[in-house]
Amino acid sequence: MTPILSARDIVKTFGAGNTLVRAVDGVSLELMPGELVTITGPSGSGKTTLVSILGALLRPTSGEVRIDGNSLAEMSEAALSRLRAHSVGFVFQSFNLLEALNVRDNVLFPAHLAPGGVRAARERADHLLAQFGLTERRHALPRTLSGGEKQRVAIARALINEPKLIIADEPTGNLDTRSGQQVVMVLHDIARDQNRSVLIVTHDQRVEEVADRVLWLEDGALRDRKDEARDWVRDPVCRMVIDGWTSSIHHDHQGTRFHFCSERCRERFVASPETYLDGATAAVVPMERKPT
Amino acid sequence: MLNWTLRELLSAPQQLLASVAAVAGAFALVLFFEGIFAGESEQIVALIEKTEGDVWVMQKGVGNMHMATSFVADWKVGAVADVEGVEKATPILYLNSAIEAGGRSWFSFVVGLESDDPRAGPWSPAGGARMPPQGGAIVPDIFASDAGLALGDTVRIAGRDFAVAGFSSDTFSMANSITYVTMTDLADAMSSIGSVSYIMVDAAPGVAPDALAMRIMEQVEEVNALTRADFSARDYSIAVQMGLEIVWMMTLIGGVLAVLLTGFIVYSHISERERELAVMKALGFRNPAIYASNMLQALAIAALAFVLSVALMLAAVPLTEWLMPKVNLALTGSALVRTGATALVVSLIASAIPVRRVLSVDPATAFQR
Repeated sequence: MTPILSARDIVKTFGAGNTLVRAVDGVSLELMPGELVTITGPSGSGKTTLVSILGALLRPTSGEVRIDGNSLAEMSEAALSRLRAHSVGFVFQSFNLLEALNVRDNVLFPAHLAPGGVRAARERADHLLAQFGLTERRHALPRTLSGGEKQRVAIARALINEPKLIIADEPTGNLDTRSGQQVVMVLHDIARDQNRSVLIVTHDQRVEEVADRVLWLEDGALRDRKDEARDWVRDPVCRMVIDGWTSSIHHDHQGTRFHFCSERCRERFVASPETYLDGATAAVVPMERKPT
Repeated sequence: MLNWTLRELLSAPQQLLASVAAVAGAFALVLFFEGIFAGESEQIVALIEKTEGDVWVMQKGVGNMHMATSFVADWKVGAVADVEGVEKATPILYLNSAIEAGGRSWFSFVVGLESDDPRAGPWSPAGGARMPPQGGAIVPDIFASDAGLALGDTVRIAGRDFAVAGFSSDTFSMANSITYVTMTDLADAMSSIGSVSYIMVDAAPGVAPDALAMRIMEQVEEVNALTRADFSARDYSIAVQMGLEIVWMMTLIGGVLAVLLTGFIVYSHISERERELAVMKALGFRNPAIYASNMLQALAIAALAFVLSVALMLAAVPLTEWLMPKVNLALTGSALVRTGATALVVSLIASAIPVRRVLSVDPATAFQR
């Protein structure tokens, strides 16, 4: 089966010389039809830069991205715009609906770029509105909608041109629990029932639970962790319980890897490991698993 | 996109109204100044137009009346009258001069009339004598009112005193007015004996004025003959030309003002909607579509402003006539065309102002929270 989205050795740097930042550092991934994948990671880890590249909004410094078999590197800006219009649907955390247009016109807006235009998309828009329980609200302006309704409109808009790939950035980030749950299930159904590939950047545990894969992005690098158990350990300096799997601040001492909550703790440990390993403190197993 | 463009414009009606009103003000300013020049120019040719002579005969080499001097030997009046196709030849003595009264002075065409034929006289009498008597003058009613003149009061024309014998309306403007005296009195004041300035010719029924003008020039030596239409057009053209540079300057100033206002409005719209533009670009819309949207918004603002400015002018014409009778304001077709073209140019230039801003919108910023 051909992946809808494939990225190989993606690197994106900003600045130069001493100020050079590697926002994305050698990321590779593939997304198959019907697959729902989440990317999670700490703030500043490069998630937004990565989804911008994967969504054909930003060109990588090096590496190759293919959407539906088309290499983005060879495409002009006009071709990239066409590709986004036809093959990618975007869902944003802050909904990003057009305030002057009502619900139905917002959903129909990308259809201006579809082969049949708005006229051909009207029936599909009405179907999507019905599917997402928005028929009664089709003439409402965005400012009168709840957060959940806005996000459902945004999802309907993302689907109007029937793209094969949906990229959603924190789609539940601004929603209450109930609305968030609805949106999670909608995205889940889009992948399962419509065989579309859905890539979601999220911190929402509920989304991770329905995902086929959970990818962890930190310092620009991506790791797959869906099947990994969380590795709860205790910072030997401050005693905070942290996930050793995702922690990037660590130090190897006498054959054992110690994880820290912060650089400050690591520096303290490196300066005097014995202080934290002696006596009662040292008695604590450094990579202790959190009891479940 | 068209739907979004128009709804976005209408989404803040108060802002739109203020924008349109501001740009309309600039256009109305242009139309107003051009209207004054047009109105004054129309007044300058009023004598030619209202007296309705079919052909005007003047000194050879002279082709207009405003600010011109023409001398035609008085025997040529008879010679013109004898030309086949001429029904009547009416001599007019004419002087560009200032008339003074009540401490006020005003530039005027002073017309000396020989006959009692009222056709050559005031076309809109407003009291007193219909035609000027010996030693008397018929002055514009607005000037009389301005200078506090009553019948029998004295006005000074070309260094000679005349008694106010009557009033005429529709013969006064800021640039020009018409005062009527007898030809004898004016000849005396001008020390001009044996000559007239112009001969107004009525063509016999069925005679074409242009053919008659040619015939007069062929049969009467050293004269120029023009149909009323030609004569009037030349004077109008000269009058307009005098104000042409000012009109163009006003159009330019008004146009620049309108460009700045419209450009600022469109730029503000872009700045306020930068996020939405980023979303549009992310969805696949390209810069040309967004430029087209800007242009449409600018065009809509300029078009609405143009319509509003024309409406303002239509209201201003009778209002000006009532409030400022000295001012002749006219809304001409050419002014409308010129201002309409200015509005189009304004919208094109104004929509180009935010181009860099549109270009700099990064679609990836749609992901920013």
